[in-house]
Amino acid sequence: MPAKGYVDIIVDACKGCGLCVTNCPTQCLDLKKDDTNSYGYHYSYMADEDKCIACMNCAVMCPDSVITVYKKTG
Amino acid sequence: MGEIRFMKGNEALAEAAIRAGMQGYFGYPITPQSEVIEYLAAEKPNHNYTLLQAESEVASINMVYGGAAAGSRVMTTTSSPGYSLMQEGVSYIACAELPCVIANIARGGPGLGTIQPGQGDYFQAVKGGGHGDYRLIVLAPNSVQEMVDFTILGFDLADKYRTPVLVLSDGAIGQMMEKVVLPEPKQYNPDKPWATTGKTHDRERNYITSLYIQSEHMEKKNIELQKKFDLIEKNEIRYEEYKTEDAEVIIVAYGVTSRSSKKVVDLAREGGIKMGLLRPITLWPFPKERISELAASDRVKSFFSVEMSAGQMVEDVKLAVNGKKPTYFYGRTGGIIPTPEEIIDFIKTKV
Repeated sequence: MPAKGYVDIIVDACKGCGLCVTNCPTQCLDLKKDDTNSYGYHYSYMADEDKCIACMNCAVMCPDSVITVYKKTG
Repeated sequence: MGEIRFMKGNEALAEAAIRAGMQGYFGYPITPQSEVIEYLAAEKPNHNYTLLQAESEVASINMVYGGAAAGSRVMTTTSSPGYSLMQEGVSYIACAELPCVIANIARGGPGLGTIQPGQGDYFQAVKGGGHGDYRLIVLAPNSVQEMVDFTILGFDLADKYRTPVLVLSDGAIGQMMEKVVLPEPKQYNPDKPWATTGKTHDRERNYITSLYIQSEHMEKKNIELQKKFDLIEKNEIRYEEYKTEDAEVIIVAYGVTSRSSKKVVDLAREGGIKMGLLRPITLWPFPKERISELAASDRVKSFFSVEMSAGQMVEDVKLAVNGKKPTYFYGRTGGIIPTPEEIIDFIKTKV
């Protein structure tokens, strides 16, 4: 099934707390273990882009409001 | 009532410093503390303070030394490896009896360590840290609100006792966002007759040093310092208790682990274990008398120290308990915050 949504993350504002990863119901997100942002944090990214269902749990949970979720139309 | 904002711990600390009338900030960026200097840089055009990014932590602490000697309200912030670099300067400032605030947004160590929160700097913070006989007043916030309160309190205590004050926070408190109530900005009017602001005709020159070549002079200075530390120990002990009135098991925890521990207390009480939390707010002076008092009571059966270290504060808890009751330690290192569930699982194996 194609992804219903796209998660946009402001990489340099992410502190790698992992709340979005824990709360993603489809295990779409993960922390980037082999890269860091300018602060040195392993930031969150879409590990499996096909799994996003645009539920916005990640955006609601994010304590620093760095996540925007886009719903795919058509 | 002051202004209510939703802020990150580090930003709240920076805003609190501005509102406390800080006149100079000297620092060097280091994760997880960098937001402090970023916030102060962004706010600089609206306020009247000196802001300088030094070339290193060694430079920044010595700039603080200079600023404090000139009678200014000054501050620096850093994280664990940076605070290690600062130790020489901190010792000098303590000996020269100058007021300043230092915030250590601690991360996991040793070495360059990790950038996640840690409490492995406890020994360094409360036992002195640098060389020689000195102590710092160490305040340990456990919420973003306390980052604000303790920064302001820190400046006031520093001025009151003419001593450096350390705000020992951690990466979790520094990075988390919470609601804060900010107090009204204060106009800072220092009364510092000792400051090196230039000799006037009606007094002798002011002289600030930490060098005492003659042993007798050095010892005299040490005796003066110890008198001051005794006074601080007498007046400034702060701690918070949660459900300790009828507790049989006492958890001692500070900073972010005290928040996990608070949850542990509630979970344990649901499961029938009468537990209570004692949270030292001043890590030095440590609330050892209160712990001794609890240890002496028949009701209390055991003590647990929960930390993000390999076992540091537990030594002070043990000294205060003084063998009267068993004292256990649970800790995680490397930037991992212990969860309430794992703490309670550990406690259940012991009680």
